[in-house]
Amino acid sequence: MPVIAVKNLQKSFGKNNVLRGIDTEIKKGEVVVVIGPSGSGKSTFLRCLNRLEDVTGGEILFEGQPITDKKHNIDKTREKMGMVFQQFNLFPHKSVLDNITLAPIKLQGLSKVEADKRAEALLQSVGLADKKNAYPAQLSGGQKQRIAIVRALAMQPHVMLFDEPTSALDPEMVGEVLDVMKKLAEDGMTMVIVTHEMGFAREVGDRIVFMDGGVIVEEGTPEEVFGAPKNVRTQDFLSKVL
Amino acid sequence: MLRLKRIIPMLMALLMLTLALYPGHGQANAQSALSADEKRTLTIGLSPDFAPYEFLMTVDGKSKVVGSDVMIAEEIAKDMGAELVIREMSFDSLIPALQSGRIDMIISGMTPTDERRQNVDFSDLYYTSRQVILTRSEDVDKYKTMDALQGEQIGVQTGSIQEEIANSIPDAQVTAVKTISDVVSLLSSDRVNAAVFEGPVAEAQVKNRPGIAIAEAVPEDSDTPMAIAVQKGNTELVNEINVTLERLRATNAVDGFIQQANELNSGETAPSNIFSFFWKYRGFYADGVKYTLLLSALGVLFGFLIGLLIALLRLSGVKILKWIAVTYIEVLRGTPMLVQLLIIHFGLASAFDIKFSVLQSGIITLSLNSSAYLAEIFRAGIQNVDKGQMEAARSLGMPRGMAMRTIIIPQAIKGVLPAIGNEFVVIIKESSIVSFIGVADLMFQANAVRTLTYSGLYPLVIAAGIYLVMTLILSKLLNVLERRLSAGDSR
Repeated sequence: MPVIAVKNLQKSFGKNNVLRGIDTEIKKGEVVVVIGPSGSGKSTFLRCLNRLEDVTGGEILFEGQPITDKKHNIDKTREKMGMVFQQFNLFPHKSVLDNITLAPIKLQGLSKVEADKRAEALLQSVGLADKKNAYPAQLSGGQKQRIAIVRALAMQPHVMLFDEPTSALDPEMVGEVLDVMKKLAEDGMTMVIVTHEMGFAREVGDRIVFMDGGVIVEEGTPEEVFGAPKNVRTQDFLSKVL
Repeated sequence: MLRLKRIIPMLMALLMLTLALYPGHGQANAQSALSADEKRTLTIGLSPDFAPYEFLMTVDGKSKVVGSDVMIAEEIAKDMGAELVIREMSFDSLIPALQSGRIDMIISGMTPTDERRQNVDFSDLYYTSRQVILTRSEDVDKYKTMDALQGEQIGVQTGSIQEEIANSIPDAQVTAVKTISDVVSLLSSDRVNAAVFEGPVAEAQVKNRPGIAIAEAVPEDSDTPMAIAVQKGNTELVNEINVTLERLRATNAVDGFIQQANELNSGETAPSNIFSFFWKYRGFYADGVKYTLLLSALGVLFGFLIGLLIALLRLSGVKILKWIAVTYIEVLRGTPMLVQLLIIHFGLASAFDIKFSVLQSGIITLSLNSSAYLAEIFRAGIQNVDKGQMEAARSLGMPRGMAMRTIIIPQAIKGVLPAIGNEFVVIIKESSIVSFIGVADLMFQANAVRTLTYSGLYPLVIAAGIYLVMTLILSKLLNVLERRLSAGDSR
């Protein structure tokens, strides 16, 4: 059973049809990288997966359950789907440690001690153990994004969603964030990543999904999509970004 | 940091405590006075700025209501075997207070006019005074007849019999103010040229304030009888009162009381230095500050909570809730706080028999009023928090309510702290209107000192100074809080 199954997903904002029928499946341990020109609907697609956007039509199954169903408790599902945003969205009024431990304590009933232990281990793994008492405003962009990843991981999610995680970073900080993501992929995390980092997509992605105009135009292994794109729009896009 | 979960039960407990500590005094007393309990109380209402009938004196640094009306009331209470309780309030609050059962009777130099008889019942007359015209000493020859007053600027006390007399003078421009000392201030500050006064009251003023005198002109029909007012239909009480009045009449006791009261009212010599003035009457101001602080603190506290709730309703996205919140805000912001206060204190009492004590009414009014302003402040604060904050919290699995509580609201409040601080300062100042219904707050005490000392300026300047000190201290405290909360912004 795939972790996520998307069936004929549609989303419109008013008269603007952003997603016009998406069908795909994400398997356990798979790293799927979504690429495409801006306005192609790739971010909207990602945000539909944990229902930050309500879908207009179609169905999404998470571990077999139809999460697009109105009666489904999406909060419980979101605990299993970590999300990382372009703008980090750390909680500025809380320390790094509190940012990370808030959800595990409130939602999973961890004690403060357990949560702190979990947070510190994760901070160690991204090289930010010394920042646990800092506040977000005291951190660089790259540090913030690594903390944001740790915050999502602290809930021990089954899937991680990344919405252009390096687009708001200064170029010299992109590497440290991608390194963390690469390590995560190596550890077997199921990941869906929307990004413009083609080198990273090629290196880390198990499957590349190229979207344009609200549909999946082409998908395949990095070798297939980057090496021998079949569709004209894919070729056109890749010629501009590579 | 805001820990709403812990704070709310605490506040609820506080609210209960407040309401429990201050039961509807008037209500309780009215009932016990009517039933023949062994420990009966007689609660009277008066406006103590009407020397020699009723006025304030400092006794051991505390103010005490004295006067001939008080002596009569003591006789009535004695004959009834009841304990006398005196409630001070502005003259025009007396009849509403009687109608709403907060007091048993009014003895405040009140004349039984036909208009008043429609609303309350009166005892037999206990005294008849004449009316006189008070002017500045240098103008005293100008007003030898009533005709000289035509088209003149005349000052009177609101809702008094003198106001009616003044209104009957052709073309007179009548200025009505709340207290006798305000009327005299109008006169000495040239804002009016004459004032209509009760004879003995005018004499007391002339004795204590320089520069004013009684003119020769005498209003027609100037004999003004006085009687005691009770709730309409309470003939039992009227009969009891009449028995005592009959006894007093037989010995001409009332004239004696007025004589005695006039002697009491020889005028306190208030210090001419503002600092010694303040020191002498510090007890009044200290009492007033206590009430002002209590009212403001509770008003702000409940205003804060209600305001937050209203802001959340407004932003809930549910149409009907939003509509309720908007209506609430618009109505409370769009009507004067004084009107709200009077509706809550007198209106609810007479229409629905809901009798809050003066303090309860004051707290409720301040809370509701500030909640409307705070709700809009909170709304702005919440809308200013970055949208990504809510998304991040929800993406972790937090339900909307939890995300609001732990992530959005703390940031929102931090962002609007200066605006909230402003609102707190406003509440401290605006709380002064509760003196209108007789809460003994700082403003009320300042007025008491004014009446007591016949001094127009110092009591108010001192009150202003105390308000300023309170608001400055509050501003400082809020600055400290702001700095603490901005810990996360430091680099």
